[in-house]
Amino acid sequence: MFKASVFAGVALALGLSAAPALAGDYPNQAITIIVPSKAGGSTDRTARLFTDLAEKNYEGFEFVIQNIPGSGGQKGFEAIARAEADGYTIGLNFTPQLVAHIVSGRAQYTLDSFHVMGNVAQDPGIVVVPADSPIKTMADLAAASGLTVAVNGIGSDDFLAAKQFEEAAGVTFNLLPTKGSTEQKAAILGGHVDAAFMNLSQMIKQHKAGDARIIAMLTDARDEHLPDMPTALEQGYDVQMRATRGFVAPAGIPDEIQSQLDSMLAEIMASDAFKANAAKGNIFLLPMSGPDYLAYLTDLQAQTQAVYDQAPW
Amino acid sequence: MEYLAIVFSPAALLTIFIGTFAGVAIGGMPGLTATMAVGLLVPFTYTMDPTMGLMLLGGIYAGAMYGGSIPAILLNTPGTPAAVATAIEGYPMSRAGRAPLALKTSVTASFVGGTFSVLILLLFAPFLARQALAFGPAETFLLALMGLAGIISIADENSSLIKALIAGVLGMIIALVGTDDMSGSLRYTMGMVDLIDGIDFMPALIGLFSMIQMLELAGQRGHEIDTSALHKAQKREKLPKGIGRFMGLGAGTGTLIGILPGEGATIAAFISYNVAKRISKTRELFGKGNPEGIAAAEAGNNGCVGGSLVPTITLGIPGNSVAAALMGAFIIQGMIPGPDLFTEYADRTYPFILSLFVANGVFLAIGLFFAPYLARIALVPPAIMVPVVAAFAVLGSYALNNSVFDIYLMIAFALGGLVLKKLGYSLEALILGLILGPIAEGGFAQGMVIGRGSPWIFFESNIAKVMWLIILALLIPPLYSYWKHVHRAGKAAG
Repeated sequence: MFKASVFAGVALALGLSAAPALAGDYPNQAITIIVPSKAGGSTDRTARLFTDLAEKNYEGFEFVIQNIPGSGGQKGFEAIARAEADGYTIGLNFTPQLVAHIVSGRAQYTLDSFHVMGNVAQDPGIVVVPADSPIKTMADLAAASGLTVAVNGIGSDDFLAAKQFEEAAGVTFNLLPTKGSTEQKAAILGGHVDAAFMNLSQMIKQHKAGDARIIAMLTDARDEHLPDMPTALEQGYDVQMRATRGFVAPAGIPDEIQSQLDSMLAEIMASDAFKANAAKGNIFLLPMSGPDYLAYLTDLQAQTQAVYDQAPW
Repeated sequence: MEYLAIVFSPAALLTIFIGTFAGVAIGGMPGLTATMAVGLLVPFTYTMDPTMGLMLLGGIYAGAMYGGSIPAILLNTPGTPAAVATAIEGYPMSRAGRAPLALKTSVTASFVGGTFSVLILLLFAPFLARQALAFGPAETFLLALMGLAGIISIADENSSLIKALIAGVLGMIIALVGTDDMSGSLRYTMGMVDLIDGIDFMPALIGLFSMIQMLELAGQRGHEIDTSALHKAQKREKLPKGIGRFMGLGAGTGTLIGILPGEGATIAAFISYNVAKRISKTRELFGKGNPEGIAAAEAGNNGCVGGSLVPTITLGIPGNSVAAALMGAFIIQGMIPGPDLFTEYADRTYPFILSLFVANGVFLAIGLFFAPYLARIALVPPAIMVPVVAAFAVLGSYALNNSVFDIYLMIAFALGGLVLKKLGYSLEALILGLILGPIAEGGFAQGMVIGRGSPWIFFESNIAKVMWLIILALLIPPLYSYWKHVHRAGKAAG
């Protein structure tokens, strides 16, 4: 690496252009991974799970993580889409925010701006109520009227799930948008709201400790981390929502380089070490190949569009 | 006992020392903050021994909270918003050549506040965290109001009350820019992605204090600080009698407010400063360099260190942004906040808490030992001081969010703020409005949703009733004395 950078420095000093990178000598510098959220958050930790093993197992690969937090990931997504497609900048995306920004007309990117490399992690949607709440099932939630329900901001996965449930059950919630899962947690544990739509990793400990009660998983099938918990679908309400976190690259990276990166991601995700580290870090895996994940994103965009058309934000 | 052995192992002591020293240095540089330092270092702890990693971050947190007071006192450039109140008293003391006393007061008060709060964390964390849950959005709104009452306290005794209020409202207006959390719609962002999250208060703080101070220094012909006093008797000036009362006040207020959600340290510092001013026998000295104000404010913001960790490690609800970054470090190590931390991971959690006592001791030693030397920083000629601090101001503005936009924002605040300052508007009031405005707004809007549109929710709980009493107690006396002042002035003129 040191040699490579000296070489690059000399090349620059001589006025030579180090680019265009030939696939043969790729990579000859560190690869930047843009993480559109804060250091230490779940997306950041997903990225570091990958770089940790990638640097160990792949000769010559070095990664620099650049956190671009804020605006629901939009700043970071824009930066990935704008980055030079030379294989030295890739990034993470998370849903549904990636498509929500497109649907709400705020994004300057589209799904076509990215090459989708694959999904890594997920966080199932859940419905959670205070520990002493009389609400025990989704039917109870539908039967009670005028409940105050906390969601993580307008246009977030929680918000979309709550809207889906309102539609499916024919109820209207007194929706309380919060600044994030921290506020939702405080509101549920303190009994300030009747229910909240959240993600599993945010509440699983509290549920197991008896401080709060999860009443449904918002997934298509039961989740391995909480196998006794019935899905909303089982309880008769077709409400499905999960957050996903995967890798994307700016569209237009030369094929040889892109396929090298894609297969590296797939190989690392398949390794036992990766699975063990993820379990330790409370990250739920959901490996998906690039084409599969692109299909998922396209589908999600259409669904989100439908919600937006009914109740724009 | 075995936990103490972990803390007092040479490796752990060295880690805590490095962390605390780095924290003091980071907090002491205008523009660099604890949030940033902990955020940047969290990824590095990923590969460290978990306990050591947490001790390092804990040391940084404790050290930086104290370190923020050093430039506030010496240069009038508070390193963190929580040190703004310290600057109000500390800088006049520094100008009068009493910097060593101011520094000694601030480090002692920081130690008292920090140690008290860690003691509470160690003994009562799970119990207190449960109590704090009763504190909902409506109470958050009232807490922000209590903090905003500080605007009055900044202003009274001189007649610029109206200007301080205008500055505070201006700060709140600036804070309106960004996404409205209630509707998701954008307010005054002019299509700029950089403004979607609103205006970060750190570039504002750096621009309004560090940059303006440097601009003023650069504009001065002679460097007028009374250096003679520094060299003579006052070097050994003892802490004034009865100051322990104000440290105790700050420690209690800080710990209590730290436990509650929101940017606690700033609110805690201002509320304890404000209360100290009300109960002080030497009230007329406030604003002109009263060590009692420093004692209350510094004990207050350091009290938040232990306080903010109470809900963080027991419930996974971080008390402020530094605690949130620290929580990331816990999770990276597989330590998910909750009861597990005190059972399964007790051999990491308790040494971490105990290490905070050591960290407080370390910065006390650093502060007392270096105070006479640090005080000389104020004597550095402007030709060196101005470029160095200005460079840090630019660096700090950028580094917080990796955002070039924030640098321009900082410069804009410096230029706009300079004009306001020359016109006699209080920049302290402006920054208070900018930081607390959004907290008040969020609490108010959420309270109204939970209360289904009825403002009664703000008066319902017993906590809320007590808070209203405190707010009135903070507001009425200064308004009454202001009214008397104006009345008398009117009579004299007539």
